[in-house]
Parts: sequence; structure tokens; C-alpha cells
Amino acid sequence: MTEFMFALAIGILFGIGVFQLLRRDLIKAAIGFAILFSAINLFFVAAGAFEGEAPPYLSNVLAGRATSDPLVQALILTAIVVSFGSFSLVLGIVNIISKRYDTVDSNDVTNLKH
Amino acid sequence: MTGNALLLGALATPLIGAILALLAARSNHRQRLIGVATGAIAWLFSAGLLAQVHEYGVQTYALGGWQPPYGIVLVADAFGALFAFMVTTIMVAGLLYTYHCNDKCMTYPAFLPLFLLMEVGLVGAMLTGDLFTLFVSMELMVLASVSLTAISDDQFGLEAALKYILISSMGTLFLLLGIAAMYATFGTLNMADIAQTLQSGERPFLAPAAALMLLCAFLLKSAVFPFHFWQPDFHTTAPTPLSAMLSSIVVKVGVYGIFRLVTLLFVGEEADSLERLLSVLGVIGIVFGSLGALRTYNAKRMLAYSTFAQIGFILVGIGWGGTVALVGALVYAFNHAFIKSALLMLMGVVASYTKIKTADFAYVHGLGKRLPPLLGWLVLLGGLSLAGVPPLNGFISKLALIRGGVDNGDWVNLIIVVAAGILTLMYMIRAWQQIFQQAPLPSTAETKPTGDSIIAPFLLITICLLLGTVFAEPLLQLAGETVRQMLDPQIYIAGVGLGNGG
Repeated sequence: MTEFMFALAIGILFGIGVFQLLRRDLIKAAIGFAILFSAINLFFVAAGAFEGEAPPYLSNVLAGRATSDPLVQALILTAIVVSFGSFSLVLGIVNIISKRYDTVDSNDVTNLKH
Repeated sequence: MTGNALLLGALATPLIGAILALLAARSNHRQRLIGVATGAIAWLFSAGLLAQVHEYGVQTYALGGWQPPYGIVLVADAFGALFAFMVTTIMVAGLLYTYHCNDKCMTYPAFLPLFLLMEVGLVGAMLTGDLFTLFVSMELMVLASVSLTAISDDQFGLEAALKYILISSMGTLFLLLGIAAMYATFGTLNMADIAQTLQSGERPFLAPAAALMLLCAFLLKSAVFPFHFWQPDFHTTAPTPLSAMLSSIVVKVGVYGIFRLVTLLFVGEEADSLERLLSVLGVIGIVFGSLGALRTYNAKRMLAYSTFAQIGFILVGIGWGGTVALVGALVYAFNHAFIKSALLMLMGVVASYTKIKTADFAYVHGLGKRLPPLLGWLVLLGGLSLAGVPPLNGFISKLALIRGGVDNGDWVNLIIVVAAGILTLMYMIRAWQQIFQQAPLPSTAETKPTGDSIIAPFLLITICLLLGTVFAEPLLQLAGETVRQMLDPQIYIAGVGLGNGG
């Protein structure tokens, strides 16, 4: 049941993320991007979360309990940092665009179209 | 035993250089000096690495002493070392260009550190043996190049940066999704370990999906057909030293990933279907890239479209498969980096003489009469090299690629490849004539007295000449040896220390 709910949550987050990313409003697109990244981070956690329920402490391993996979948790720590970095860069660029173009509507940011 | 420290040196030198450049933020001149010195040291490391790989076989470095497949391991096999060598060589030229560049964005204290961080990302992507580290390196490279384009002198740089980061982040997300799928099915992210599992004939449920997601991410990074639309804008608006790097070595990261995908990870039946897909996409890229380059209004934009076409040539070579065609694709990828970065720098030098720093043909028409005469000859040489005219290295790469096509007997694609070479000649000669042969228009009469230095592009064109004549034979031998090792994944797997059953 937990696994199913987890998969459902990832799916819903992914859907919201893609929908928001395709919006005309650049700020909404940036936030959609952050949601999408959390969906994928959750997917990464799910890849190793259900092998065992116990936290991956050495004492639990020595006691022979089935622990969850610690490696994915280490990996998504990096992924979260990377996603936060790109998210803040997107927001920074949107901020400058809103000042330079006086709008955050992507239909109006079209100076490149010659 | 953690392994060969040269690997760590090639990766850590630009990182340390970036930190030093950040510390020297008060003096722009000192920053530029640090940049050039860092590039030269990183080049020495990677050259040493290339020599050692060919002397002693695959070199590894286990980060933190954690042995593969559990720890993160840096691996230099013949292919990775060759590409890392190419990247650091071009980066030396790029940093030399920044030393004499008059762009306003060059005076920002963040420029040099970001430029060096991009080198960390590039070298890291080529030398890592771990898919997750590949993701981190590619993201580092993307973030650095986006920030640099956003602060470009070109007023459209910001918009191109936004366009690219949204598209590229989407690609990165799918790369991460593919990596997560890989981990869920294989329980490891070490490329050698995955290759070993796949070689045993095991086909886990998610593996084909993961392969496709990785392929899409790599295609996006090298701007291949369905994912190409950001590329001309982004490469045109970037500051000159950066656009020379973007169009030559940053797109090669995607090519590197595709090479790895079809020669190490998914050899066998998946590779066949991937290769068929790649040659179709490559042909589309060749045709539309060449035609797009013919009708552009801006010399830099023309070269960006030309990159779109040239990556198509490489993909067609990979798509043909087989030793001869892969040698062709590899030589093509190697030579293209030198030609394209030289040409973009030359166009940047031309643009630096105009009032508003643009390479738009309306502004640079006939400008050549007021520029140093050497510049015109260098542009002509670079254009001929791009089109594949004999004494230059473009000829060697075209020859190697066409040999691969003949070897495969794929005459339709071969005819397209040869015909596109003529298109290349057309647009390069047209650009050269417009800039250097015609009388200036009244609107283009005004020039600045000084522009950027031509030392860096001059060196690159010299390398092109040398690669086309003296070093042509050694380069082909090197590529042949590299492909021989690439086509036997066991060499890579054993080199990482995961031999039979281990």
C-alpha cells in the first residue's frame, strides 16, 4: 500500500510539474520546475526505500534487520543541491527579465524572434 | 591504492583555479592571468594522462579511497582521455582569448570563475566512471554557461539564457530520471558495472526506457534535431570566448555520452536500433543545419547552424557503426572542435571591431578592408577546413568519415554527406566574401581602432594546419587504437577493476 501511495504521489507531482512548466507565466514555470525536480528526487528515494523498513544504521545492519538503501539518500542530497542551484538561477534570470521587459509573460519576451 | 593522481589533477586544477580567481576578484588582470595559468596546467595534466593511458592502459582514481563499484571512480580510458585532452586544449585557447578580450562582461568578477567551473564540468563529464557524477558535471557545465550567457554584452543573451536553462533543465531532469531507473534496475551507477550486467545478456525491465531517457538527454546537450531549436540563439548571443567553447566542446559532451551509450553500455541489439535512429537524426541535422546556415544574417549564427550540421555528420558516422565509421566519427568530432572554436573566435574578433559588437552581416559587410590582413586569411583557412579542403584537418575528418560510409555501403547517406560538404563551402565562402572582399557600405564604415587579439584563433588555425598535414597520420592511428579499445567493453570493465565475476 505504501509503495502504491508513493508511486501515486510521484505521478501527481510529475503531472503538476509538467503542467506548470508549460505555463506562459515564467514564475509559474520556474516553480513547476522545482516541483518536477522533487518528483524525480522522490522517484530516486523510491528506488531504494522499500527493500527494508529499518533505517540504515550500522547497528541495524549488524542485528540482521532489513534496512533501506542508504546510497540513494546520499545521492539525492546532491541532487537536491543541484536542483536548488538551478532553481535559484532560473528565478534570478526571471527576475532580471521582469525588470528589463516589464512582464513575466513568455509570449511578450520575444525579442529574439527576428 | 587509490590510483593515478593525474586524473584528480586534471579535474581539480580548474576547480582550484576558479577559487583562486574568485579570491582575486579585485584585480581583473590578475584573474585573467590565473585563468590562462590554470588552463595551461590542466592541459599538462590531461596530456600526461593521454600519454599514460596509451602506455599503461586504463587509468583510474577511486575518490576517497572507496573502491568501485561502491565508491565514485574517475576513469580515463583511451576514449575519455582523448576527449579530455581535446577539451583542455580548446579551453587553453579560450582562456587565452579571454586574456585579450575587450567585452564588458569580461570585467565582471564572476566571469573567469564561472568559465573555469565550466571546464571542471566538461573534464568531469569526460573522466567520470559513474553516471551520477556525469549528471552533476553536466549540470555544473550548464549552470556555468547559462550564467555567462545571461551576462553577455549582447542584449538578447538574457532571453537566450532563459530559453536554454528551461529546456536544458528539462533534459537534465530526464537524465536524472534515467539514472534513477538505472539504479532501480541495476542497483549500481558505475558504468563498468552496468556494462558488465548488460553484457551477461540480462535485460531488466526498465533498461530500454533508461537507455532512451539517457539518449534524449545527450541529444539535447548536443542540439540534435528534435531538440535543436535553442542552439542558434544561445550560441550566437554568448560572449565570444564562451560561444567558441559552446559550439566546439560543450556539444561534444552529448556526443561523448552517445559514444559511451552505444559502445559501452548498450552494445548489441539496443545499439543497432539506437544507431538507426541516430543516422536518421544526423541526416536531418546535416540538411537543415546546412540550409539554415545558408540563409542566416549573422556570421556567428551561421556558425551555430553549421555546428548543428557538423554534429549531424558525427551522428551519421556513429549510426553507420563498425570500426572504420567510428574512427571517422571520432576524428570528425576531434577536428571539428578545433575548426569551429577557431572560426567563432575569428568572427568574435571581427565583431569586436564594430561599434555594437555584432557579427550581423549588415554591420560587418566589407569591414575586412579595415582589419588586420592576417584575419581574412585565417577566416578563409578555417572556412576551407570546415568544408574539408585538403591541406587542412577538415579534409582528414571528411575522408575518414566517407571511408566509413563506403565501408558500410550506405550510398544514400553518403551522397548527402558529400553534398552537404559543398553547402558548407558555399556558406563559408559567402561569409568570407561579404566581410573581406567587398567594399564597405556607408552603414558599416565606422570601426573601432582596436579589437580583440587574434593570438588564440591563430594558434587554433595553426593546430588545424598541423593536424591536417604533419599530425594527420598519428591522429588517425590514435583514433584507430581508441576505437579498437572502445569496441571491446571488456577493456574498460577490466580497467576499472571489475574483471570476470568480480
